[in-house]
Amino acid sequence: MPTKTVSFEIRRQASPDAPAVWESFELEWRTGMNVISAMMEIAANPRTRDGRETTPITYDSNCLEEICGSCAMRINGRARMACSALVDNLEQPIRLEPLSKFPLIRDLQVDRSVLFQNLKAVKAWVPIDGTYDLGSGPRMFPQEQEERYPLSNCISCCCCMEVCPQFNENTNFVGAATIAQVKLFNSHPSGEVLKEERLRALAGDGGIQECGYAQNCVEICPKCIPLTNAISDVGRDVVIQKAKDWLRG
Amino acid sequence: MATAQQPAAPEMSRGVQPLRAGQGYSFIWRRLHSLSGIVPIGAFLIEHIVSNFEALKGPAAYAEQVRFLNSLPLVRVLEWTFIFIPLIYHGVYGVYIWLRGQSNVVYYPWAGNWMYVAQRYTGLIAFVYIIQHVLRQRFMGVSLPEHPGAAFHKVQVELLNPWMLAVYIIAMLAVCWHFAYGVWLFAAKWGITPGEAARRRFAWVCAAGGVILAVMGLASIWAFVGPGYRNAPDDVAPAISIVAPVTPGFAAAAPLALLVKAES
Repeated sequence: MPTKTVSFEIRRQASPDAPAVWESFELEWRTGMNVISAMMEIAANPRTRDGRETTPITYDSNCLEEICGSCAMRINGRARMACSALVDNLEQPIRLEPLSKFPLIRDLQVDRSVLFQNLKAVKAWVPIDGTYDLGSGPRMFPQEQEERYPLSNCISCCCCMEVCPQFNENTNFVGAATIAQVKLFNSHPSGEVLKEERLRALAGDGGIQECGYAQNCVEICPKCIPLTNAISDVGRDVVIQKAKDWLRG
Repeated sequence: MATAQQPAAPEMSRGVQPLRAGQGYSFIWRRLHSLSGIVPIGAFLIEHIVSNFEALKGPAAYAEQVRFLNSLPLVRVLEWTFIFIPLIYHGVYGVYIWLRGQSNVVYYPWAGNWMYVAQRYTGLIAFVYIIQHVLRQRFMGVSLPEHPGAAFHKVQVELLNPWMLAVYIIAMLAVCWHFAYGVWLFAAKWGITPGEAARRRFAWVCAAGGVILAVMGLASIWAFVGPGYRNAPDDVAPAISIVAPVTPGFAAAAPLALLVKAES
């Protein structure tokens, strides 16, 4: 009796400068199979559809429950998390490609450190380090907490940047994720102390002004973060900050 | 024995570069581009469409409107400061913005993404159209500031060419689209509509405004090519000139008198 199978087309590249090749795989279907579990099976027996031996697929992944942000890749052309991409919901053959806007390391693994650099550039943290005990922080109203919580869900997967028409090597746009984090930390009663620095940082080249408001970020975000709202709010704050700086300068 | 040898930390030399915090002036240029689309360009667009609407009242009324606008104090300074220079800036910088973007609507065919693309195409149509429009109507042929009475005839001759008529209709729709969505984008980017519901409501307002402007603009085009004012005279009021000292009363009455004569 023929068993139900699932087929994959995976774009592979041995090194950053090696040519890209497509390899096809056919696996036995299992209940609840997702893209990561399929690649685990390939790793257990790395053979292409025509029986040729190959290497296991290289990819980033960690939590397997869409909370760590590691396994973002293009699945059937769209950026998404591989762990939550259920095979049963995907059109076959399932095409897997690395994110296109980040330097490729190998196969489906890319270097997304630009997001980390951007978060550092806008000081996306609450500065509480000191030489003495600062005591407990100020209290936050539940209404504020509810406003902030969705922004804190960012998993740094970089999908919002991948799908943004403005995020590219011409603009070097900072991307929606960092802007949303600026809103998050500017609205924190202690993090607010760096508010002006964050806003000034976002007015630098590649800053918030490069946003073309195509709104792809908010459509693709796996955590449903209100990114366009954040861009709008922070956009206003940056304009006001720059105007203040200009008039006081 | 397997050693936990770490691969060399990837360098940031490739790919999209990080934010250049606090560096450069692109913020001011980009925001100026956004603002210039509203004032003065958007404001002028509304004025232009409203003024053109006078064409529906006939050549004389149109001539009077042209004369009135050209009689504004420092009109040449106003023209360059609030129309030509902002238009050149908005158009050139807009093309620069387009060239730096990387459309992906093929992979992500969502409404906002389509509008992003449409904003670029309508902008380019508008820019190319405006260049020929300004050259042919403002700087070539009869000089309308000196001969406002010739305005209706000049536009009519232009629009009697079916190709030009098509160009004007397409450009009118493109300009109104670009302006209406531009206002929406302005409100979204400058934080005037930071909420989802507010943006949705404002989208209706912008759409309504764009449709009204487009309908008014197309109606004005109809005034020139429709049966109402066929074969308008070359110059409805040759005597009227902004250099000649004429009383406003006479200026308004003279073309009307001529028109009555022409119709009787």
